[in-house]
Amino acid sequence: MSAAKSLSICHLFPEALNLYGDGGNILTLAKRLEWRGIEARVQEVSLTERPHFADFDLVFIGGGSDREQRIVCERLLAQKAELKAFAGDGGALLAVCGGYQLLGHSYAMGEETLEGLGLIDLTTDRGSPRLIGNIAIQSEICAHPIVGYENHGGRTHLGAGVKPLGTVAFGHGNDDKTGEEGAISGTILGTYIHGPLLPKNPGVADWVLARALEHRHGTAELEPLDDSVELAANSVMYERLMRGEERE
Amino acid sequence: MGLRAAISRRAGRATSRLLRLVGRNASQLPGRVALALDPRLLASLRTSLSKGAVVVCGTNGKTTTTNVLARAAQEAGLSVDCNWRGANMLAGITSAMLFDKGADWAVMEADELSCVHVLPQLEPRWLVLLNLFRDQLDRAGEIDHVQDCLVEALAASPSTGLIVCGDDPLSMGVARRAAHHGTKVVAFGIDETLPPPPDRVPEARFCQVCGAELGYAWRAYAQLGDFSCPACDFARPALDFRARGISVTSAGVAFEVLDGQGAHLAKVEAGFGGMYMVYNLLGAFAAATLMGVPAEAFSRALAGYDPKNGRLQHYRLANREIVLNLAKNPTGFNQNISLMLADERPKAAFFVINDDYNDGKDISWIWDVDFERLAEEARAGRLRVVAGGHRAHDVQVRMKYAGMDAPIARTVAEAIRALEAGEPDAEGEADPLYALCNYSALWPAKAELDREAEAL
Repeated sequence: MSAAKSLSICHLFPEALNLYGDGGNILTLAKRLEWRGIEARVQEVSLTERPHFADFDLVFIGGGSDREQRIVCERLLAQKAELKAFAGDGGALLAVCGGYQLLGHSYAMGEETLEGLGLIDLTTDRGSPRLIGNIAIQSEICAHPIVGYENHGGRTHLGAGVKPLGTVAFGHGNDDKTGEEGAISGTILGTYIHGPLLPKNPGVADWVLARALEHRHGTAELEPLDDSVELAANSVMYERLMRGEERE
Repeated sequence: MGLRAAISRRAGRATSRLLRLVGRNASQLPGRVALALDPRLLASLRTSLSKGAVVVCGTNGKTTTTNVLARAAQEAGLSVDCNWRGANMLAGITSAMLFDKGADWAVMEADELSCVHVLPQLEPRWLVLLNLFRDQLDRAGEIDHVQDCLVEALAASPSTGLIVCGDDPLSMGVARRAAHHGTKVVAFGIDETLPPPPDRVPEARFCQVCGAELGYAWRAYAQLGDFSCPACDFARPALDFRARGISVTSAGVAFEVLDGQGAHLAKVEAGFGGMYMVYNLLGAFAAATLMGVPAEAFSRALAGYDPKNGRLQHYRLANREIVLNLAKNPTGFNQNISLMLADERPKAAFFVINDDYNDGKDISWIWDVDFERLAEEARAGRLRVVAGGHRAHDVQVRMKYAGMDAPIARTVAEAIRALEAGEPDAEGEADPLYALCNYSALWPAKAELDREAEAL
């Protein structure tokens, strides 16, 4: 019986990191557990709280405006070692957009350089213009393409040997040059794709959930779900982008 | 008027006549043609206004507020130029003034980012700022940017006073900075404690000055309410126009307006709208009063208000009532959901989302709408939903995760067919249908209903 299973999900600073429907990602994680009879315990952690990361199986960091991201960055640096230990212990970490940039060593914003969490060997600097629009990538972690929306000023550069989440089929990705999007390192996944990311990309949601399940219960096995509605939305957008109906 | 302005106005008028002759929309192009010849034409056109201009901006409610205000001025016997249909950038506003024959007032809605072009030329007596919500991040950028543009616009038109919603911390952030440049500020807001609203504060939880989390004595909806910062002096200002005795029902809204000293000014009643409409009408009333429009004229304008512009328009199609409304961002959608839930009948909803350029290409905001509030009604069999628009599949996914099955339909007629499949009893009155459409989705739905249904 899987009914006894449960996962603890940490939604970091939703009051500050909520720029692009990030609540949709959390909702998707919770529903996909619930539909499998696994209890989802979602805890919203506010900026004034100090989360105990060791209690969680999955941590989600969303995107915010530059001002909010600066506050969040400062706040998280105080718990850098704990977050590192969490990921090192196999906890799943999903970071989108601004949260993705925080995963690296640094984010150079003109004169100022923000120190990052250093969880993945990558750096970000700000470029012009902002990279805005629909995006589709192919990734090894799921059978379907990953579709969504990107809107970022930062250009992210992966260190040697760091695996991207996937290769860009339409849109810009990490830096608009390498044709790579996002980064994966162990149980950490970072990406610029919002839209939000998870509802229309059930394979990504399940990849993250499988890592979390492994962390808690030692098995990555997830019962299959009927994803026809999600996959229809995914393929409608993918086809539209591939047909060239969208300008970049 | 100089020669250049006269020539460009003539070219704009000719374009307008030509477009009308061939039955095309003349709300933008004439202004564009004229502005190409004289980019400062609006400044010349303004000089023929005998009293001046009022500009209305804000994320939600511009078109309705502008229409109400312009009609109130007309009821008071004043002549008015207005961009009634909501063409709200510089070209649209210029188009609306091309045929001016010395009107008393120009009452214009302006896109928030266009204010920086419109205000320095039109030099309105007043700018009405209704609210600021997150909308179209891909096009407008973050709210900080919209605020910067409004402050810049006011600084570039020093004779313009600001009529601002004092209950909105984001609008007050603009007012506070503009006041530093010397802008005169008049604030309107609600002056009574309201019961807790069903929605959450989606944005602006932080102080505009110091960044601390704002506290609320009460909240109306979204971030609007009696706010104050626990760490500094940023708080709701003293109100110059106050609404009291507020009633919001499925039959419409009613409230009393008092002045800054608490003296009675008027009773305002309208047969439409929810809580958001209280603010729209209060803002319109404040502007009308400052324009010298008597309260009786304002009431007459509301009593006869029927703009037929797709905002809360009622239709009848066979045995079904259809309510058409614009909903183009989370706050607008959440207010529409409140409006639907206030209707106690079993009902249906058709959510139509396009992602054309004018809508914003990024529709991630649909995940910020609290559709979950509808799930209980849906489970009880008292609400059915249909998904539509270019992003119908995304709407369908959103409904699935909110706990609702939504078939997909391309038109209102298709949506009704999908509903009829689940309605065994074809006799008698069918469930009312709320068609909630974002910007570019509204016009095809309205055209279809204007053609096929009876307007109520």
